[in-house]
Amino acid sequence: MDLSIEVEEGTIFGLVGPNGSGKTTTLKLLLGLIYPTAGSGTVFDLPLGSPEYKRRIGFLPEGPYFYDHLNAVELLAFYGGLFGMSGAALQDRIEELLHMVGMWDRREIRVRNYSRGMLQRIGLAQALINDPDLVFLDEPTAGLDPPAQMEMRRLMVDLRRQGKTVFLCSHLLKDMEPICDSVAILARGVVRRQGRIRDLLGAESGRFRLRVAGGNGFSLDSLRDRSLDLKIEGEEITMLFANQQQALAAAQEIADNGGTILELGAQTRSLEDVFIEAVAAGGDE
Amino acid sequence: MQAIYRVAVATFHEAWRRRFLNAILVFAVLIIGSSWTLTYLQPGAELKLLIDIGLGSIRFFGMLIAVFLGVRLISDEIEKRTIHTILTKPVTRAQFLLGKFFGSLATVLSNMALMGIAFYVVFAYKGSKFMVQGAAQGSESASPGISTDFIYGNIAKAIGLSFVEMTVLTAVSVMASTLFSWIMAAIFSFFVYFVGQAADFFKSLANPARGTGFGGQIVFNAIYGIIPHFEVFDMREAIIKGTYVGWDTLGMHVGLGLVYAILIMLVAFLAFMNREV
Repeated sequence: MDLSIEVEEGTIFGLVGPNGSGKTTTLKLLLGLIYPTAGSGTVFDLPLGSPEYKRRIGFLPEGPYFYDHLNAVELLAFYGGLFGMSGAALQDRIEELLHMVGMWDRREIRVRNYSRGMLQRIGLAQALINDPDLVFLDEPTAGLDPPAQMEMRRLMVDLRRQGKTVFLCSHLLKDMEPICDSVAILARGVVRRQGRIRDLLGAESGRFRLRVAGGNGFSLDSLRDRSLDLKIEGEEITMLFANQQQALAAAQEIADNGGTILELGAQTRSLEDVFIEAVAAGGDE
Repeated sequence: MQAIYRVAVATFHEAWRRRFLNAILVFAVLIIGSSWTLTYLQPGAELKLLIDIGLGSIRFFGMLIAVFLGVRLISDEIEKRTIHTILTKPVTRAQFLLGKFFGSLATVLSNMALMGIAFYVVFAYKGSKFMVQGAAQGSESASPGISTDFIYGNIAKAIGLSFVEMTVLTAVSVMASTLFSWIMAAIFSFFVYFVGQAADFFKSLANPARGTGFGGQIVFNAIYGIIPHFEVFDMREAIIKGTYVGWDTLGMHVGLGLVYAILIMLVAFLAFMNREV
C-alpha cells in the first residue's frame, strides 16, 4: 500500500485520523522506530532511520516518558550528548531551550515530580536539542489543561516562525485547525484527503446560512424548494442557501412577514466536518 | 562510541538508584562481614568457611544483581517508552543495546568490587590468623605451607573469574530481556545459570554407558554444547586446596567467558533488531 504525504517546508502539517487509521504506524515508520515490511521511505532524500536523517529531526512522543531520576538540565544534557554535543555549546543550548519552554526556573526539579504540562514542555525541549529541521509532535496537547494547550500551540507557531517544519499527529481536530497550514486525513492506512487547510475548509464557500424565528404569511414549501436544507426546531427555522442573493431574498421575505432574523452569514465548515466526511467516504474498504 | 558511552552512563546512574540493588549490596556486605564472627561454627575449617562465605556471597549476590538488573533492561525501556526518544536520536539499535549492556555490566562489577573489598578486609584480618594457626596445627583447610601472598593472589584471580562469569550472565539476562517479559527473562536467566553450573553433569548423562537412549544423548549433548559452562569460573576449591591456578588457565577461562558474552550479545542483537518498540 502506497502512502504519499506532501509536507511543505516551514509549515505546520497535521496528520489526522480515527483510532486504528494507521497514524501511529505511519509516525513510527517516519521516525525509523519500525521498519516497512516492504519498500522504503525517504525524507530530505535520506533513508528513514538513518543516523544522518535522525540528526535533522526531533520527536515529542505522546505522554512522554523520560529517565525520571534526572532533572531538566541533566535530561537535556543526556539527549544532547547523543548528538555529540558537549561543553559550553550544549549548556547554552540547554539554557536557551529551558527559557523557551518556560522551565528555566524549574530546572532543578527531577522529572519524577513533573506535572503533565511540565513533561510536555521538557519533551518539546528535548525534541529541539539538536535544532532540527523537522519536528514530529505526537498528540502534543492531549491531557493538558486549556492554558497549557494554548501555550503549546503558541510554541508550535513559534517553531514555524523559526522556519522549522512541524509534523503534528493528533485526533484533537479543534486544536489543529487554527494552527495547521495543511493536513492529511488518514483512514485505514489510506490518505483520504490532503491539502492546505483553507482549501479543504473552503470547499463549500459561497453557501449561506439563515436562522429565523416567528412570522407568518410566507410559504415554507417555497423556502424549502429554494434552500439546500431546511430544519425546523420549535419556533426556529434554519436554512442553507447556495448563495448570498438567495439567502438575502429569503431573509427579506421573512422579515416583511413579521419574522425575526436571528442569524445570517456565510456557511463555514470545521476540520471536524471535513474529517467525518472524508472518513465516511472511505466506507468499509 | 559516544552514543554507547552516553547510554551506558545513564544506565549505570539509573541502576545505582534502584533500591533493591542497594539492598542486595548492603545485605551481601553484611553476610560477608558476618563471616568474621561465624568462623567458630567450623573449628579447624575456619579458612574454608571464610572463603566459602566470602567468595560464595560475591558470586551469589553478583548473580542476583546481574539477573534482576539485566532482565528489565530492554523490556522496561519498551514498556515505559523511554526508548522512543533515544532511538529517534542518532543512536542505532546496536549502540543502544551495547550501551545498556555496558552500563548494566559496570553496575554489576562495581557492586561485586565493593563486596570484594569487604571480603578482603575480613580475610586480611581473620584469614591470615587462621593460616598461621592452621599451619601450626596441620589443619587441611588452612593450606599449611601456602604463603599469604599466594592465597591472596588466588583470591584476586577467583574474584576476577567471578567478574567474567557475571559478564556472561549479564549478557544472558540482556538477551532474555530482548526476547521475553522481565519475569520470563528472569526465569530463563536463572535456568541457564543453574544448568550451566552443572554442564558436566549433562555431558555425563549423554554417555550411552549410563543407558541413555539416542534421543536423550542428542538432548543432553545439545544442552552441554549450547549452555555456557559457568562452573569453570568457580575457583573456590583451588583456593582452599592451595592449588596453583596458572595465568594460562586463567586466560583460557577469561577468553571462554568473553566468547560466550559476545555470542550471546549477537543473539540479543538479532532479536532486538526485529523487535517492535
